Amino acid sequence: MFVSPTVIVTAIGLMLGLIAGFVMHRADFCIAGMFRDLFLFRSTARLRALVLYLAVAMVLFEGARLLGLLPLYPFPLLGPASLAGTLGGVLFGIGMVLAGGCVVGTLYRLGAGNRPSLVAFIGLIIGSALYAEFHPFWKSLLTATTLFSGSITIPQYFSLSPTPLIAVAVAILGGLVTFWCRHGQLSRRLYAKGALQLWQAALVLAGVSLASYLLIGMPLGITNAYAKIGAMGEQLVFPDHVADLGFFASQPLSCRNPLTGMMLTGGPGPALDGIALIQFPLIAGIILGSTVSALSLGEFTLGHPAPWRQYLSAAVGGILMGLASRMAPACNVWHFLGGLPILAFSSIFFLAGILPGAWLGACILTRWVVR
Amino acid sequence: MTSAAVDTIEYDIRGQICPSTLLIALREINSHAAALRKGEVALLFLTTNRDSTHTIPESAQNMGFCAVVAPRDGYYAIRVSGNE
Repeated sequence: MFVSPTVIVTAIGLMLGLIAGFVMHRADFCIAGMFRDLFLFRSTARLRALVLYLAVAMVLFEGARLLGLLPLYPFPLLGPASLAGTLGGVLFGIGMVLAGGCVVGTLYRLGAGNRPSLVAFIGLIIGSALYAEFHPFWKSLLTATTLFSGSITIPQYFSLSPTPLIAVAVAILGGLVTFWCRHGQLSRRLYAKGALQLWQAALVLAGVSLASYLLIGMPLGITNAYAKIGAMGEQLVFPDHVADLGFFASQPLSCRNPLTGMMLTGGPGPALDGIALIQFPLIAGIILGSTVSALSLGEFTLGHPAPWRQYLSAAVGGILMGLASRMAPACNVWHFLGGLPILAFSSIFFLAGILPGAWLGACILTRWVVR
Repeated sequence: MTSAAVDTIEYDIRGQICPSTLLIALREINSHAAALRKGEVALLFLTTNRDSTHTIPESAQNMGFCAVVAPRDGYYAIRVSGNE
């Protein structure tokens, strides 16, 4: 029986999304909280799971590369670092704190019925589409502030094999993880029904990221799809305007799916293309995975309204994240779950931006949102 | 020997954005710290935030109070009281 490549790629994305959404809900794997809590509660507890993720993902990605399993290295759509991109990281950090979750945190909470997360989701779409209005300016700024001669990763810049540098990074991160493990600081006392430890979720997500890289051709990424959804909606009302915007006409994706051999091309515009094929099922899967988890626990509910300030915060946060994910020019999932494990400069600079952003977001949150 | 009745103050913080649940809980625990220590009141937080079932008890215990988490129908009830 012949199964079309389109169906195969869609099914893979959906399955990976289901697993990710389910696991994230069970563990409440909140990447936004990992950085926010550093400043709001002076806690590194959540961040330890991300460090574990990075250590494991580095090993998995590098091992796959050495075995010749990775289709393209670095992966498609990963660009060089720029100072302007760091500003995107700052805005993203502010946005994710105000929204109550990052681009995937919003999805898995939306899947569990959280109303403010629905508002944040809509904000993400709006923000991603708004970016198109000043894309030419920002693109020129990114180009003008590009660093490291356009090299994408640290090993690339130094013309070195990635293996030694990855080994050093893994040794450092692994040492931290080992210390935390020996002192019982990786596990938490769990009270929620069906809860997973954060470290368990980190391990599963590392596997999901690798699977995405091997089977789709790149690690997890979803925010191009937000821009695409925004373009689709805007096209219904302002078709000529959408047609005139260069951002929506761009086609940055061009790679061959390693599993099916199908050529995947596409961009943030309204067309159903390779971006839609990869990311729409992933988004749907994350939401559905969380919904399945919540329903099975009896925790799915739409019936709890939040204070109006929190809806406003979620909306503003979503818009900021949407804008920032194009300016950075990618989201935290792309950078932390994909770029950092291969020592990508742009992801390191995104990290440099998200830290002060999270601090600013925490200040705004406690001053004006939660009273 | 008889014990005085303990007033329970309920806070419904279901459906709110993260981390408002913990922020509100910390604020109210601090606000009622003296009464909690005397055993005059207990605080009951209703939340749909799964993470707060860990963070609120942990924070309360770090402050010297007792916390009990009970699953309800679609949410959790976290009761904070003086040492019991």
